[in-house]
Amino acid sequence: MALLQISEPGQSTEPHKHKLAAGIDLGTTNSLIATVRSGRAETLADADGKHTVPSVVHYVDSETIEVGHKAKQQQAIEPGNVISSIKRLMGRGLADMDKIKEFSANQLVESDTGMPGVVLENGIEKNPVEVSSDILRVLADRAEETLGGELGGVVITVPAYFDEAQRQATKDAAQLAGLKVLRLLNEPTAAAVAYGLDTGSEGIHAIYDLGGGTFDISILRLQKGVFEVLATGGDSALGGDDFDRAIAQYLVEQANVDSGDRRAHQLAMIKARDIKEALTDTDTVEVNFLEWNGQMNRDQVEEIIGPIVDKTLLSCRRTLKDAGVKVDEVDKVVMVGGSTRVPLVREKVEKHFKVPPLTDIDPDKVVAIGAAIQANVLIGNKSDDDMLLLDVIPLSLGVETMGGLAEKIIPRNTPIPIAKAQEFTTFKDGQTAMAIHVVQGERELVEDCRSLARFELRGIPPMVAGAARIKVTYQVDADGLLQVLAEETTSGVKADITVKPSYGLSDDQITNMLQSSFSHAEGDMEARMLREQKVEAARVIEAVTAALNENGKELLTEQEYAAIQSSLEQLNQTSQGDSVEAIEKAIEIVEKNSNEFASRRMDASIAKALVGHEVDEI
Amino acid sequence: MANAQRNYFELFGLEPNFFVDQKDLSSKLKRLLQSAHPDRHAQGGSQQQMLAMQKTTRLNDAFAVLKHPVKRAQYLLQIEKDIDTTKDHTVNDPEFLMQQLELREELDNLTQQKDASVLMDFADKIETMAEEQETALGELFKQDDWDLEALKVSIYKLQFLHKTLHDIELAEDKILD
Repeated sequence: MALLQISEPGQSTEPHKHKLAAGIDLGTTNSLIATVRSGRAETLADADGKHTVPSVVHYVDSETIEVGHKAKQQQAIEPGNVISSIKRLMGRGLADMDKIKEFSANQLVESDTGMPGVVLENGIEKNPVEVSSDILRVLADRAEETLGGELGGVVITVPAYFDEAQRQATKDAAQLAGLKVLRLLNEPTAAAVAYGLDTGSEGIHAIYDLGGGTFDISILRLQKGVFEVLATGGDSALGGDDFDRAIAQYLVEQANVDSGDRRAHQLAMIKARDIKEALTDTDTVEVNFLEWNGQMNRDQVEEIIGPIVDKTLLSCRRTLKDAGVKVDEVDKVVMVGGSTRVPLVREKVEKHFKVPPLTDIDPDKVVAIGAAIQANVLIGNKSDDDMLLLDVIPLSLGVETMGGLAEKIIPRNTPIPIAKAQEFTTFKDGQTAMAIHVVQGERELVEDCRSLARFELRGIPPMVAGAARIKVTYQVDADGLLQVLAEETTSGVKADITVKPSYGLSDDQITNMLQSSFSHAEGDMEARMLREQKVEAARVIEAVTAALNENGKELLTEQEYAAIQSSLEQLNQTSQGDSVEAIEKAIEIVEKNSNEFASRRMDASIAKALVGHEVDEI
Repeated sequence: MANAQRNYFELFGLEPNFFVDQKDLSSKLKRLLQSAHPDRHAQGGSQQQMLAMQKTTRLNDAFAVLKHPVKRAQYLLQIEKDIDTTKDHTVNDPEFLMQQLELREELDNLTQQKDASVLMDFADKIETMAEEQETALGELFKQDDWDLEALKVSIYKLQFLHKTLHDIELAEDKILD
């Protein structure tokens, strides 16, 4: 990896090459992929002209899979071999399954990811990461065929309200699909980007995002290309599917269906969706469901789904409060997600915010479009643009303290990236280890929060109770992913963990899954790695040398300068050889020696941003 | 020429001072992030990305401190006088202690009524008290020779009011759930 190459913000170091990047909306019911072509972001269609890919996978046999429309058609025929709504299982444990209604308990088993595995009638077992990865691969293939090249990176959207485990699972799925994730982007933020850039809209925006399986509400301030999330909230297990389920329940009751009849229940869900969609345009609809023939009108359906919509408005109220924004300060409300087509949703949202909601951009496509715009910026294709996204963490991060209480270390809606430290001490004389339990959520009791990880700091020197100083640091990166470090500060004993939550794949598991899905000969792999390391070494040498020439004399002591130079010479020599490890190590040494230099260069460049503007403004 | 890490005020090009123009601070943060944010370094190597994350983290942290009157006052005392006012308070002001007790009691009573609007009115009242306290604290910082004991007490009083506001919010959250 190259040393800090200071370029002007947004400018690529290789400005002439247009790199391929895409934005992916990986939805509960439907997924989409979009990209920026000739300056315009657009979703990509399949050969039949269809843009959305139903998030449904049909596992025909151990070799063959079908994804999307074909798989959805199969759902009515052989539901036992088709998986849909897999997003509901991402980052969840078996213990959460009582809240998840799409999957019946006898379908689910414990998988080695900690997440539930889905067992199909043909005996195939798939974990949620694998199923999501199959969907992502199909989307990426579509983009690569359309664009005629390999994707350099993707931005994948996640519900803002996704917790750590759900985010990590999404990133794992992308990695398994062989995709480079430039950023996980919150869905409402993506929608705001699409609106903000398309219409030049400014001011306070509320993004109301009701998808198939999730609900998000985000309050953003848009100003001169800066998209600042003020607060975000929602419910990661509430969506338009719940409308269908409530209507289906009504149908099932009317037709006196046996509660164990899965096929009839599935049919009821399909009917319910048809009814919901039909009532978007008409007031009454004829319904034939099994033995029952009847009529349903809009009022009836609205009564059934009303309470679900009200639940979303309660989230809106709370999130506005978190943002410190009063309802009448909201300039615009943007509707995202297919479920916002339901007239009752639009009516209630308008009444709540006292402004007519915007639907100019197709609510199904707006998230993917925003993601594509961000992907294009991150891959380095855009140079003249000041667009910047400032996001927050959706849920508080805490640690378990005495008595099963959760103490918050980073409160929800804190801008990211962020780091916070908290000090703890031992409570027994001679205590040499301390367990650290990382939790996420707003509730006071640990048992009501989501458990993310447990780890132990060992080797604390024996001291009297209360004498040890254990500093626990939480670092959240720009993807919203957490790393935790614990250190006993009087002795310097450390332990750290990248929070691969209780529900996630270890790196080894991913590597294994990747290896079993590719059939690379080992020799090929090694040759390729050596080639890549050599290219990397050349890049590092070039970048560091350029940096030294630019302001090394100014920012470094003679001694520091000499140390960097000698490690560069060492790297140059090593990179002529054939040892991947040796080159890797030499690069590491250069990076270590030049880290402080890179840091000072960045400080200088950041400070310039402030001064430069002040001059501009005078 | 190793430069020591700049303090939070310096990061924003400011002199250490209790009085900070919040609008200016917020617009400066955005300018600084335009250059520091990890998204601006997405095409750099892992080292560059790591540094960008660290710099942005520090800017976000600095902003949170300078934005909040209690944190700002505590930070100012720490960098200027090396006094840590974040722990161990003893306030010998019977009148204030009495008031503290009364406010806590009032909050407990109101919480039991389970009425968000009553709590919001209470929050307004505390908000006004906090504003007055902040003004008083500002007066102390304006003096050429800081009265450190008075500053400590004043900071603690303001902190108590902010803590109460926070607790009101938690109580409101519970009602909204």
